[in-house]
Amino acid sequence: MDVRVSSLRDAPLVEVKGEIDHGTCEDLNAALCTALDAGGQVVLIDLDQVGYIDSGGLSVLFSALKRLSPDGWLGLVRPNANVRRLFELVGLCADPNVRIFEDRVTAEAALVGRTGAA
Amino acid sequence: MSLPSDGFCRAIEIRSEACRLVEVRRFVEEVAAEVALDSERMFDLKVAVSEACANVVEHSGCESVPLEVRAHVHAERLTFSITDRGCFKPPNPTRQAYGNRGLGLPLMVALMDEVTFVRSPAGGTRVSLSVLLSGR
Repeated sequence: MDVRVSSLRDAPLVEVKGEIDHGTCEDLNAALCTALDAGGQVVLIDLDQVGYIDSGGLSVLFSALKRLSPDGWLGLVRPNANVRRLFELVGLCADPNVRIFEDRVTAEAALVGRTGAA
Repeated sequence: MSLPSDGFCRAIEIRSEACRLVEVRRFVEEVAAEVALDSERMFDLKVAVSEACANVVEHSGCESVPLEVRAHVHAERLTFSITDRGCFKPPNPTRQAYGNRGLGLPLMVALMDEVTFVRSPAGGTRVSLSVLLSGR
């Protein structure tokens, strides 16, 4: 699994490529911790290249959610149908601080709509 | 394509380590392709089998003993059995700060048609995860 961090409209954008499991999720956790420690209120994760996630990866997402401020959110961008199904199953989609985006354009539009965003 | 007949059987052994879980999922993919499962059911099986193996890696305390994953078809159902020869040990509290929130078992139950756990008198546990091959 590869994790690359860039940014979209000043928000950290974590791009993951590969399978997120118990053996690899620590790399994603480290990237999210770095983004959150830098004061990010919104963190985006691009999952377009992720074909698999299990409870190891899901736990990392829940852990990141707990560290967000109440008005912050986690943007999950382009999860495939199976990954999205798991998100729904474990209740991630119902979390008020989670937003799912079909593409980066809609994710970016949500960022522009934020107060104080560039 | 007709359903695979009773007697279909495949097996692998891996070292009981988190970094080997990817090998288990490749095995599930191979088996799923052989029995012509659709991609959604294949994904469900990959998650369930991988979670069961991750539990062994986490709890069974048998790093030095290989973990066996066996797939077989019987009565129009495909079953993966994960057998370890260890005994339960509690998770290491310092291993990961975020924990796994206990999501592994609920995922197995939610994604599979049948889940069973059998403890062997000789030590170790067998988890069986089944999907029906017909009626979907």
